[in-house]
Amino acid sequence: MWNRLPGVWICVAIAIASVLFALLATNAYYTSLVVWVLTNAVLASALRFVLQIGELNIATAAFFGIGAYTTAITAVLLGWPFWLTLLLAPLVAGALSALFGWVTLRTKGPYFLLVSFAVTEVVRLIYTQTNAIGGNSGLVGMFPPMAIDAYYPALAVALLAATLFALYGVERSDLGRLFKAIENNDAIPRSVGLNVVLLKVLCVVIAGSAVGLAGGLHAYANNVIAPSDFTFFVAILALAYVKIGGEGHALGPVLGAALLTLVGQWVAGISAWENIFYGAVIVVTLLVFPGGLVGLAARARGLVTRSAR
Amino acid sequence: MNAAVSMPAGGEVILRAENLERRFGGLTAVSGFSFELREGEILGLIGPNGAGKSTTFNLISGFLRPSGGRLFVKGRDVTGASAKTISRLGLVRTFQHDSLLSEMSVVDNILIGTYHQRLAHEKRMEKVREVASMTGLADHLQTTAGNLPHGLQRMLSIAIALAAEPQILCLDEPLTGLQGAEVSSALELFEKLRTTHGLTILLVEHNMRAVMRACDRVIVLNYGRLLAEGSPETVSRDEAVIEAYLGRGR
Ligand SMILES: Nc1ncnc2c1ncn2[C@@H]1O[C@H](COP(=O)(O)OP(=O)(O)OP(=O)(O)O)[C@@H](O)[C@H]1O
Ligand SMILES: [Mg+2]
Repeated sequence: MWNRLPGVWICVAIAIASVLFALLATNAYYTSLVVWVLTNAVLASALRFVLQIGELNIATAAFFGIGAYTTAITAVLLGWPFWLTLLLAPLVAGALSALFGWVTLRTKGPYFLLVSFAVTEVVRLIYTQTNAIGGNSGLVGMFPPMAIDAYYPALAVALLAATLFALYGVERSDLGRLFKAIENNDAIPRSVGLNVVLLKVLCVVIAGSAVGLAGGLHAYANNVIAPSDFTFFVAILALAYVKIGGEGHALGPVLGAALLTLVGQWVAGISAWENIFYGAVIVVTLLVFPGGLVGLAARARGLVTRSAR
Repeated sequence: MNAAVSMPAGGEVILRAENLERRFGGLTAVSGFSFELREGEILGLIGPNGAGKSTTFNLISGFLRPSGGRLFVKGRDVTGASAKTISRLGLVRTFQHDSLLSEMSVVDNILIGTYHQRLAHEKRMEKVREVASMTGLADHLQTTAGNLPHGLQRMLSIAIALAAEPQILCLDEPLTGLQGAEVSSALELFEKLRTTHGLTILLVEHNMRAVMRACDRVIVLNYGRLLAEGSPETVSRDEAVIEAYLGRGR
């Protein structure tokens, strides 16, 4: 129990350092890169969050897009205030996640995976077919207000880091224990009077709200969004981050997202090879160290403590 | 339905099944099965493999919907009610197979049983410790459930159910694979649950000697139908019962 606390404080320190970096760095490329790393970390953590109940949620990509479009539509087309447009992103994504979860989570098995995939592609097609929201070319012109503009990357980093801590907090709470129980053997929680379907929906809603917020922040960070930013491939990349970082600990997806996003910047130079690169990395990781980076770290620590005895 | 045989521990009827029926495609697993469970008794439910005992558990606990018949818990019609509703009325069941959270610690397993109630964490832990000490798990709280010795795994599945504070406890073969001493202490626990905690117990068990020792009354299922009912002595001497068991090679 106690040896976990220093770890949490180290993470808090890194989060504060990231916020300060985003606040103080003058190079816009680096500040936007930090925002992008944390955005991917939230996507990967949200994907892993639903993996806790044993479901692979491809619609993570859809709810990221729904958050981004919610903010973009309310900001650009309706001219609503900045904070309201940001607040609506997790709320709308969360509400639609509830509907999606309620429809899909009553049955077990590959059904959820398939529907989550279909939902992602259908939502994307709706964007492309709706001229009022820019069709294929999407929406442009989401700018934070003047007073906030200079601090925006720091604000985004702070909110994304807070989201990561919130997801971790839930994982460590009674609710997180229930999610784990559902994944392990859902007959047990059912037998002691718990509504398993409702709990699963709650899990999907929490994750959906988290990526919704990330989407809203992304809309302002990028100033432009398009349907092609929100294909199922976003979820596949998030899965790669989870697998490389390791599923066993909440830090896994964060480490995986940081590593692959940064390395990805370099690989993007040899653009045509980018997807092949990701594919190769995933395959090699799964073969060589299936527990991911955190699994490797745990194994190393195990070796150290064993040799210390 | 049956004129009740008078029994030592016979309070109010707390669970009543009327003509319970369950079909799986062409197979009728439970058919026209009626029985009553009275407050404070330990009722044995026995029968050869495939007789429909676990299916009956699934029906009375809301895990399966009956194809026909009615079910009453504490006088309330709960036919077709959800597992949640029935559990919150006080009927909690254990499972014959996969009866615990194998990847989670013993504490976490028992904690799951407490979440039907809003409680402060300290109160939950008190409940966990109380249940763990009753079931002999007090020294294993941090062990991963799947790594417990078999006997303690069986006790843990009972502990999870007890943490939910049931009035009616339905145990599906809790003694399978237990050693002699473990069987005795389990039977002592059942008796203690009945006398000091006021629980009513429905016990499915193949260990006939244990059934004889523990139960006030026994009902026998065969091919989904009620075959016999009565005191353990009467039932064990019943021709039809002996035939049913021998006929299936047990
Ligand atoms: N979900 C199901 N689908 C189809 N058939 C089932 C299902 N559950 C049980 N059965 C069938 O119903 C019959 C009764 O099974 P049940 O598990 O209730 O027996 P049991 O009395 O508990 O046996 P055992 O002593 O072996 O545990 C069996 O023939 C079984 O194969
Ligand atoms: Mg059975």
